[in-house]
Amino acid sequence: MKRPFILILVSIFLLPLVVRPAIASEIWIFAIFGLGLNLLLGYTGLLSFGQSTFFGSAAYVAGWLLKFYGINAFLALGIGVGVGAASAALVGYLCVQRSGLYFIMLTFALNQLFYFTAYQWTSVTGGEDGMPGIPRPVLLGIDFKDPLVYYAFVSVLFLISLYAMKRIVESPLGKILQAIRENEIRAEAVGYNVPRFKLLAFIIGGAFSGLAGVLYAMLFGIVPLEAISFVFSGNVVFATLIGGSGSLYGPVIGSFVFIWLSESVSTLWARWPLLLGMAFVIVVLFLRGGIVEAWSRFWLWRSSKQKN
Amino acid sequence: MAILETKKLTKAFGALTAVNDVSLAVEAGTLHSIIGPNGAGKTTLFNLLTGTFPPSSGRILYDGRDITGTPASRIAHLGLARSYQRTTVFPAFSLLDNVWTAAFATGNSWSGLMWRRTDRYPEVTERARQALSDVGLSSKSNQLAREISHGEHRQLELAIALAAAPRVLLLDEPAAGLSPDETRKMVALVRALKGRYTIVLIEHKMDIIMSVSDRISVMHFGSLIAEGTPEEIQKNPEVRRAYLGGVAA
Ligand SMILES: Nc1ncnc2c1ncn2[C@@H]1O[C@H](COP(=O)(O)OP(=O)(O)OP(=O)(O)O)[C@@H](O)[C@H]1O
Ligand SMILES: [Mg+2]
Repeated sequence: MKRPFILILVSIFLLPLVVRPAIASEIWIFAIFGLGLNLLLGYTGLLSFGQSTFFGSAAYVAGWLLKFYGINAFLALGIGVGVGAASAALVGYLCVQRSGLYFIMLTFALNQLFYFTAYQWTSVTGGEDGMPGIPRPVLLGIDFKDPLVYYAFVSVLFLISLYAMKRIVESPLGKILQAIRENEIRAEAVGYNVPRFKLLAFIIGGAFSGLAGVLYAMLFGIVPLEAISFVFSGNVVFATLIGGSGSLYGPVIGSFVFIWLSESVSTLWARWPLLLGMAFVIVVLFLRGGIVEAWSRFWLWRSSKQKN
Repeated sequence: MAILETKKLTKAFGALTAVNDVSLAVEAGTLHSIIGPNGAGKTTLFNLLTGTFPPSSGRILYDGRDITGTPASRIAHLGLARSYQRTTVFPAFSLLDNVWTAAFATGNSWSGLMWRRTDRYPEVTERARQALSDVGLSSKSNQLAREISHGEHRQLELAIALAAAPRVLLLDEPAAGLSPDETRKMVALVRALKGRYTIVLIEHKMDIIMSVSDRISVMHFGSLIAEGTPEEIQKNPEVRRAYLGGVAA
């Protein structure tokens, strides 16, 4: 087995000993969210600033069905994946023809459109109060109300997501998306319909976001309005960049750092976003590859010293 | 038989007519060169042939079929591949991945697109390796494209076009910016490809053109002003006046 995978397995087992199970679950949920974004950001070179559109839409729809129809948890997750993918198809369709700043602004603007819809539609979404009362279902006789059991459930889904994403980025599709990032004109000329592939990246990213959204709703028993706001969209971009958008594991590490910091430091120091801001500036100025790059540079430096 | 043909092809950018009423026929299996001074419209003609943008008027026929307006991403699948005057590759990719990406696009099947590992496509990888070996870059296949020299970039540029297994190769100044030594190698390479592919070659260096071409078309201010064998072109007074000037005189 590969080293990153072992590290992740060990973290999954140790994490609940260090932080509350809810926070531990949130870390892996956010990591799934980050995996989806990074297919767009790191692999395709598309900075989507509206990922919470898919996260939130899935959370609301699945949350509603869980709450009022008591649907099965797997069905809820499946519906979440579907809603995430469908909303991403819609947003992607409108965005893939644009580029640069226009693209970013459009993902943001559409995110705002979804946000205000959720904000206004209080009879369904609860508006600012959120949509509370989402049950954590009983599955195959296992009661997911126990936070540790739910944590195990989330961890398994995270591992499945990671495996799926690994297969995707190592497939021809992964190569094609990176080719688009590297040189759109040449990618088109060698025979790829670039907008269509960008749309596919959106849909896959949206599916991952949707899965994360439903897990999030079941974790906290509520869909807060923030779940569809630019704050969540920004957070996932932030976490992914800090972790490193250039690799598969970057968003996982980023989520780890981001959620842990925001939960631990924020209780000690109200101005903790300042810390994040500084980390962000450092990454943008010196470490485009985020923590993953810092780590590999460190090892390169170590091994070069040992040789001397 | 003409494999590639244009009929009264015209492209205007605002007031500038970059390609003006060009009717051209490229015979299958030949090396057909297009020459002309800077800004004559040669690259624009290639852009029209490969669907970078649609023509303002006129038609393009490939294998007797009207392909006017076919988008760029479809052109490679028809068997037309181009190399660029200004190198345009995938910088962060290894050389092998550069050509692999092109080879996969026109491969037999895209099955496993989202799931199968890229190293599980032996026939695509084989074609990619062959393209690298054709241009003499086999030994560098694992190096990153952004780390190789300008001369090697020009070779890679050609390899990407070859990897698509095309019938027609459109080469836009493959020797641009090469040293005399590198140029000799590139000319040998183009000569080796002759016969295997139908080649349309844009080039400025007269000695190259005269030695490798079966036919030559001369462009000047967007229009074709002459066409013929290298000997005919060398003798043509209008070509001398417009283009060759002191060189051939
Ligand atoms: N996309 C474009 N938009 C506007 N003008 C263009 C565009 N492409 C080319 N042109 C103009 O069309 C004319 C022909 O350009 P083109 O690049 O086809 O010439 P060329 O024959 O390839 O020249 P060179 O030998 O220098 O490569 C030039 O005046 C150029 O500025
Ligand atoms: Mg040119």
